[in-house]
Amino acid sequence: MGDKFELVIVGGGTAGWMCAAACAAKLDPTRFRVRLVESEEIGTVGVGEATLPQMKDFNDFLGLDEIEFMQATQASFKLGIEFINWGSEGDRYVHPFGTFGRPIGEADFFSYWIRAHRAGTAAPLSDYCFPIVTALQNRFMLPSGDTNDVRNAFAYAYHLDAFLYARYLRSWAEARGIERVEGRIVAVEQDGERGDIAAVKLASGTRVAGDLFVDCSGFRSLLLGGTLGVDLEDWSHWLPCDSAQAVPSVRSEDFTPYTRSTRRKAGWQWRIPLQHRTGNGYVYSSADISDDEAAATLLANLDGEALADPRVLRFKAGKRKQAWAANCIGMGLAGGFLEPLESTSIYLVQMAIMHLLALMPSEPSIDPALPAELNRVMDVEYDRIRDFLILHYIANEADAPLWERVTAIDLPDTLAGKIERFRHRGHVQAYRDGLFGPPSWQAVFVGQGIEPRAADRLADVLPAATVNERLQNLAATIADAAASVPSHADFIARYCPAPAP
Amino acid sequence: MTNAVQRVAVYGGGVAAAMAALAVSRAFARLGTDVVWIDTGKEPAPHAALVAPPDLATFHRLLGIDEAALIAGSAATINMGQQFARWSGGDGAFLHAYGDAGSAFASLPFVQHWTRARQAGLGVALEDFCLAAAAAKQGRTGSLRESATQQAVKQGWYLDAAGYARLLRAACERADIRIVSGAGAVVHPNGGRLDRIDLSGGEQLDADLFIDADGALIAALDPDGAAARPGFCDRLIRGSAPAFDPLPLYGRVVAHSAGWLAMVPLADRTAIEFAYDSRLLSDADASGALAATIGRAVDAGSPVALEAAARPRPWVGNVVALGPAAGDAPPLDGGELLLLQLAIAQLVLLWPIDRATMPEANIYNEEIAGTWARVTDFTAQHFRLNARIGEPFWDAARAAPVSPELASKIDLFAARGMFAHFNHEAHVEDSWALVMAGHGVIPRSFDPQALLVEDRALMAEFQRQLRAVASDVHAMETHAEALRRMRG
Repeated sequence: MGDKFELVIVGGGTAGWMCAAACAAKLDPTRFRVRLVESEEIGTVGVGEATLPQMKDFNDFLGLDEIEFMQATQASFKLGIEFINWGSEGDRYVHPFGTFGRPIGEADFFSYWIRAHRAGTAAPLSDYCFPIVTALQNRFMLPSGDTNDVRNAFAYAYHLDAFLYARYLRSWAEARGIERVEGRIVAVEQDGERGDIAAVKLASGTRVAGDLFVDCSGFRSLLLGGTLGVDLEDWSHWLPCDSAQAVPSVRSEDFTPYTRSTRRKAGWQWRIPLQHRTGNGYVYSSADISDDEAAATLLANLDGEALADPRVLRFKAGKRKQAWAANCIGMGLAGGFLEPLESTSIYLVQMAIMHLLALMPSEPSIDPALPAELNRVMDVEYDRIRDFLILHYIANEADAPLWERVTAIDLPDTLAGKIERFRHRGHVQAYRDGLFGPPSWQAVFVGQGIEPRAADRLADVLPAATVNERLQNLAATIADAAASVPSHADFIARYCPAPAP
Repeated sequence: MTNAVQRVAVYGGGVAAAMAALAVSRAFARLGTDVVWIDTGKEPAPHAALVAPPDLATFHRLLGIDEAALIAGSAATINMGQQFARWSGGDGAFLHAYGDAGSAFASLPFVQHWTRARQAGLGVALEDFCLAAAAAKQGRTGSLRESATQQAVKQGWYLDAAGYARLLRAACERADIRIVSGAGAVVHPNGGRLDRIDLSGGEQLDADLFIDADGALIAALDPDGAAARPGFCDRLIRGSAPAFDPLPLYGRVVAHSAGWLAMVPLADRTAIEFAYDSRLLSDADASGALAATIGRAVDAGSPVALEAAARPRPWVGNVVALGPAAGDAPPLDGGELLLLQLAIAQLVLLWPIDRATMPEANIYNEEIAGTWARVTDFTAQHFRLNARIGEPFWDAARAAPVSPELASKIDLFAARGMFAHFNHEAHVEDSWALVMAGHGVIPRSFDPQALLVEDRALMAEFQRQLRAVASDVHAMETHAEALRRMRG
């Protein structure tokens, strides 16, 4: 046992158990010993959680059974996010898990849409997107598997109870050899020479030593921020919301296969439908509204009876300057926080886990190229998401003090100029890595009222009548296909009904 | 489109001007865009040859250039990769082939398993698991309908530069592009843009957009825009030797104590480029050193100065500089044609909407700067990773600064056999793996997920892959058969 590489995960929320499960699935138990330290005294921040399609990849990577997982977490399906009142009061659009249209000619579909839209002959962009049309009718199906079928051109994610997900992964990981250590951490021992973390000490007096520590301790960032003193890079000047109130409500008739985000005076409200209830919350800037008023606003805007009193959460937008310092990697809230406007929390945990597995040190003296790469790629992930979130904020009417401020902020260099480029010709830079490809930017730009004045000139080669005919045919094909899809509620009831809690 | 670009003038000669004129005309003549090529008459240097990476074969389809015409008009042969010889001291060599560095296995890149096996004493080189490399070395090429390896085998070209330029010019003529002589032309810049070019015959050519493949137009707008880049060699001798028989499927780059020597196999000759540092090898001694390295008669030209400059902002006002006007491409790995093609493709993609403002220039300059940096990194790795210890030229090359991105790539590969990806990568990761491993970088550790495969299963998989490579090679066609098939 002394020869094994010792990995210690600190904290047993969603991040900790996701990491433990991945280690159980992918690390050779004869060479790695993995322990997770958690305390039943410390609650987790688990609320109704919306995710991205990458989560299915993660579950598949572990080898989880989708039906069993959905039943265990009260999960429902998600085809995108509906944004209400973003841009201007009364606007609504969906950011889908899929692309718009299909190939028409040499240019990309979006360029043809711009051209026809400018000529007044196009339907709304959303009519050319199967997952949007389907989602807005509260219908759902799994991708058909036929690449010529519009009903195959989408991905899907889940709404789930993150607390139940952690519990489910715990039993899965423990069954596969991960050791759980119960106890509250009262002290952290550092190695004198390099400042590495040597062990954590529990209230019981037990000492848990390790070669590598994964900090999943939540906002406290016990090891990374606390012991190692890695500061938070503060992004609250761009993303000023610093509080949230969360409350579950009775499941409503409106069982949407999408998350809903409604812009409000001092922030925005989420709605996440699970099988057994609906998760709700108001993310707000405490400078612009009192906690009481925020709670009242939230409770006044539920579509089902509240099942508890609203719970307050405090946070600050930002990212730890290094995700991996010394022999400690921070994941989840211990590594940074970005508000859940684009459901990126679990995705960021997943990315940190996948990179850590591939970059796992093979000996206690850590090759510096390994943390350097993990920090570089996590920075890319955080920066991309941050810019995409800021985009949602800045493209709005300045109709309340918060919105007056955010629409006038100085943008990060990486975002500056993007809006003008999109207006000029629908230009969106395509990245190799990281979240949010061109269809996501197109959805949010157009959805929040930023429309291109012109398109790629190659889109002008086809005759207008041909373009119009192909657009009409596509919209009709999508409408017909959507009509054949079962309701989300029926699909879930047949496919993965969860027991009443 | 009241403000659309309607008139385009391409200025320059050789390959770059003709390729740009042809690409722009094929994309936009259908929209009424008029393309004029002001031919400066500058032709490719005597003996010059071009290394075309596989990407160019795809681009040729957009240009309407077919394989039979290339073979007939530019002495073209198939390029499956470049061999690097003597870069590690001694006579050792490796082949950077355009293909896969082994087949992925157990959901992990092959390099991870290979690293693990190397640590356990395996002596087989990474390139032996690469179908394209094995095939090229045995004179086999082509694609298989049923492949045991399922590996990609990509093919580029070796081209005679003068023949290729003539072929592109003929394609311009067929596309009805007006070609006028640029001899004695006078350039008229005005307020950050180019107004017009006055031709010696009296014609005043004004255009909405000028494409500069020469350098004179961009220099008129942005005289201080070119910056010198550090290079290792300051002299170049081009020459020709008799063709190899049979024709090899790969070129060869041989390291020499004062520089390097590239051999490009063409159908009717072997083109030679000998680059050296004149502080270490005098011009007088260079031709002797060249002949000694080649080991056969060489018809060589005189030494010319080898430049290394770049323009960080190739698009200024209404002038877009590309090809040699945008800077001197890295001298190996087909960098010249790769960058030219990517620049032209980017220009077509960002074809300006409004001829009066052209904000596309900033996007283009950002994209091209990124592409240049990554393509330059790929060639810089050879110099960084050379192991000719104790030779002044190569010690200096190894110690020369590299970009932080290249440093990260090398560090990470050396540590873990993984790739630090950046935006604008122009070479696939398997090419990086084959080159870094070829230069002797064996990763120090591997992804621990590889340990879930048992030793015996891993050995069986390695044997399976080597057998699959051998059987695929056996089923492929020879170089001569492939050329005959493509000639039609």
